[in-house]
Amino acid sequence: MKKIASLLMVFGASFSGFSQELNTGEIHGDFDLNLQSYQEDELIGATAANEVILNNAYLNLNYIKGNFATGLRYESYLNALADYDSEFKGNGIPYKYATYSVDGLEVTVGNYYEQLGSGLIFRSYEEKGLGIDNAMDGVRLKYSPTQGTYLKTFIGKSRTHFTYSDGIFRGADLEINTNELLSSENKIKTILGGSFISRYQERSNLIFKIPQNVSAYAGRLNLMYGSWNYYGEYAYKINDPSNVLSASKMNYARGNAITQNITFSKRGFGVSAEIHRTDNMTFKSDRDKDGKAYLINYIPTLSKPHAYSLLALYPCATQADGEFGMQFDVFYKMKKGTFLGGKYGTKLAFNYSRINGLNGGNSFLNDNTEHSPMLISIENEELYFQDINLEINKKINKKIKANFVIANQTYNKDFLEGHVKGDYGVLNSTILIADISFKIKKGHSLRMELQMLNSKQLEDYSAHVGSYENGLEEPAEGDWGMGLLEYTISPHWFFTVQDMYNYGNEITEKQLHYLNITAGFIKGANRFEIGYGKKREGIFCVGGVCKLVPSSNGFNLSISSSF
Amino acid sequence: MKKYLTLLSAILIITSCDIVEGPYLTDEAINPVDTATNSYMKKVLVEDFTGHLCPNCPDAARELDAIHDIYGEQIIGMAIHVSKSFARPYPASQAPSFQYDFRTQWGDNWDNFYGISEMGLPRGMINRIGYPDNHKLSKDEWATEVSNELNKEVDFGIDINTTINSITISSNVLNNVNGYYNLVVCLTESNIINWQKDGQENVENYIHNHVLKTVLIDEGLSSTTNYIAGQTIETLINYDLATLEQYNIDYSTNNTAELGNGNAGDWNASNMSVIAYIYNTNTKEILQVEESHLNN
Amino acid sequence: MQLKKSKMNKKTIFSFLAIALFTTFSFSQNRALPNKDVKTLDGSNFNITNLENDGNPIVISFWATWCKPCKKELNNIAEIYEDWQDETGVKLVAISIDDTRSMMRVAPYVNASDWDYEVYLDSNSELKRAMGVQTVPHTFLLNGKNEIVWQHKGYVDGDEDELLEQIQKIAK
Repeated sequence: MKKIASLLMVFGASFSGFSQELNTGEIHGDFDLNLQSYQEDELIGATAANEVILNNAYLNLNYIKGNFATGLRYESYLNALADYDSEFKGNGIPYKYATYSVDGLEVTVGNYYEQLGSGLIFRSYEEKGLGIDNAMDGVRLKYSPTQGTYLKTFIGKSRTHFTYSDGIFRGADLEINTNELLSSENKIKTILGGSFISRYQERSNLIFKIPQNVSAYAGRLNLMYGSWNYYGEYAYKINDPSNVLSASKMNYARGNAITQNITFSKRGFGVSAEIHRTDNMTFKSDRDKDGKAYLINYIPTLSKPHAYSLLALYPCATQADGEFGMQFDVFYKMKKGTFLGGKYGTKLAFNYSRINGLNGGNSFLNDNTEHSPMLISIENEELYFQDINLEINKKINKKIKANFVIANQTYNKDFLEGHVKGDYGVLNSTILIADISFKIKKGHSLRMELQMLNSKQLEDYSAHVGSYENGLEEPAEGDWGMGLLEYTISPHWFFTVQDMYNYGNEITEKQLHYLNITAGFIKGANRFEIGYGKKREGIFCVGGVCKLVPSSNGFNLSISSSF
Repeated sequence: MKKYLTLLSAILIITSCDIVEGPYLTDEAINPVDTATNSYMKKVLVEDFTGHLCPNCPDAARELDAIHDIYGEQIIGMAIHVSKSFARPYPASQAPSFQYDFRTQWGDNWDNFYGISEMGLPRGMINRIGYPDNHKLSKDEWATEVSNELNKEVDFGIDINTTINSITISSNVLNNVNGYYNLVVCLTESNIINWQKDGQENVENYIHNHVLKTVLIDEGLSSTTNYIAGQTIETLINYDLATLEQYNIDYSTNNTAELGNGNAGDWNASNMSVIAYIYNTNTKEILQVEESHLNN
Repeated sequence: MQLKKSKMNKKTIFSFLAIALFTTFSFSQNRALPNKDVKTLDGSNFNITNLENDGNPIVISFWATWCKPCKKELNNIAEIYEDWQDETGVKLVAISIDDTRSMMRVAPYVNASDWDYEVYLDSNSELKRAMGVQTVPHTFLLNGKNEIVWQHKGYVDGDEDELLEQIQKIAK
């Protein structure tokens, strides 16, 4: 017995010593599953999936011990959801990394994500909703040589689906924060940055000179003074022609892009103004392929991301090859007690954005043609997209809160969807939204959303507007209505019923209801959601990169968990 | 100071790149790829899946022409019109624009099997290489793939002889090969003047070339799987253009789900050609192709 | 009798070894923050492990300017934040995952909304990934030692009551 007791004591002592002095590391991760069934539905044009159900599943695992971390991600597409690229097929571990940092140097090998500046010349990121993941595979180093200077450099290949693109990228970035560097308390804060990226891809064109190394450079400046903040970045890309043999398609023009924004913010009031211009700035990880999986830079669209469905019905995709955009936002909180503010105060958010093409198209240069568009040209150029909207947020009384939106959007369907000019014309929509929540009792809430979209063709923009009866692919959708009821029981339950009704469709048989019901259970780090209904065919965009979502009818299940 | 100089020079070396100055066309003479064996050159089939309502497709046809200009008779093109959204004829109320139905039963079958138009058009295949995961090539990838194919061994040599109602294909085996091979014989028509969307315009008098009209046979080249060098396999096909034309018209008329209108006739025999190719039924790879004008 | 006893000794030693090993290498319930940098609203780098609140609880909430439930959560808490601070000393850190598209709206929106939170920018989702966040809103509660003791996905009206309960449990 004595022996046992002493052995136990030894173990007990060393055990407590273990957990305090020897950090044995931790394992964490998250799991996500999205599953959908697809039934045949001729009315909305939905096709059944031969596999009956389609699903995407991911598991992230990370092991962290002090300054060392390693991890991987397992992805499973058996088969991928209908709105994902069909190249996502099968299972695998496409993401794995190991990283450590010592004395200010951080080393990462394996897969990593990275962004240079605002992403104009390079951004490696993941956007699961779009099916975009262009993670790099290689080596990345980050180092801060002195206080206020940040250096990073990397080399790698970019991921496309389950393989890697042909181009080898090498990049570097230097950022200098002058206040930190000079340890000054200057009222004007300055941050300067410069970045470089280059893609190496062997040349193989029989008759044209093609560069093997295509590089892009960018310089940025961030100035802050009191309530003001200015950010500007200029990017430049050398000639990047495709590997084709048609002389007329070879374009040796350089690419450039500029983005600037100014913001002013203080308590109760904020303003933001931005402007950007892109010319020939499509940068791909493989010069010969096309598709969003091969984009290696990120030029976000200069429009407000909308959460309400009818506001996002006709979204704008970025034209990296040539567009000029500007955007203006005002946020204002009317104080409580004032006449307009009411008892609790009222919040306003106003947004205006406009995107048009470049004068005569993007820059073009080859042996036969040369074109360079004007720097700033707004009035005479083709309008791609315009959005004016105002959101009013108000607490009416202890039990009722309301959100109202009024918007007007102009959407150049011909250009943005790649149709011949005049076939579909330019749509102008006016949208009204009321989103009201009622607190029924403690923890129980009912939310109601009513949306209405009134759409018409803009006459002066369309040469002739075709119709479905005369051969066009889709009928003019016309007006839409949308209603939603959501009942939530804090902290675990939610139930939603929603219907989108296309009552204005030019074809009577296509004036359809898209009815959907959802229920969900959330507890701590786990979330379960199940739903059933119809989804409209549409374009889903995040940040200016878009994907086509086919119409579908079926049930969907989504499970996510973090540990 | 030294540290900064070395850092600066390192940066300069790393940031070197290739800015190309005009003129952009090289002066290099093009040496035609010559893997000729027994005087049969390696030829490559470029299948260009297209549609008259596809505004980006003429660019692919022009790329195919440019490739043909470089490599000459070693490039054989075939335009296959597919899909409801890109190739349907417009309703009669829109006459005379986009009234023709260029689609065929075989083109539709290949499109379904190889999954081409579901990825958007234009898209194509070069000798059907890369099946099943990498065969759908965008037009910017054609030039590279063509030059890869032209460097390959020539295993078969095809001779085509035609009369007013029969076609004789002589398949000459050049190397000992083993496997299951099929012979496909098609008829295509060129110089069809009809509507086509091109970029931002509806072009009335677009010249459609090497459009697939019919597939006469798609069957085993021989009953064995052993092919000995020096062997020649003769295949005789009897055909009647009027019957074939009517078949397409009927297919289009009955294709109501895909909005066919029966307007698939008006063939011009003097503009027609025979394309014959041999492919491996497992890998789908096309080993040799030949084209010949239809002597009528 | 002697033989039996020694057999039992071995068994207990083995089982104790097993328990000791298992507990030292088991998944930690209280995890630390990952060693990742985010940016402050004036562009400086900030390492998330440097968060501190004098040993009081910290709430980390991932949000975005385009996320309605996130804004609802942070605005609802803003109304009672002062009371929470008085009662528990809690600090709320709001981490925006807005990328370049909407990043410039963060400061004007935060200021116009009169928030008193500490706001940081995670524009390429580095911290979001490291903490296993998939969708926003996602809220974490840290104790006085910067260890994550509780987390919650999503937000519906009334969830702030559960959050307050959890904070009160660990407040000093």
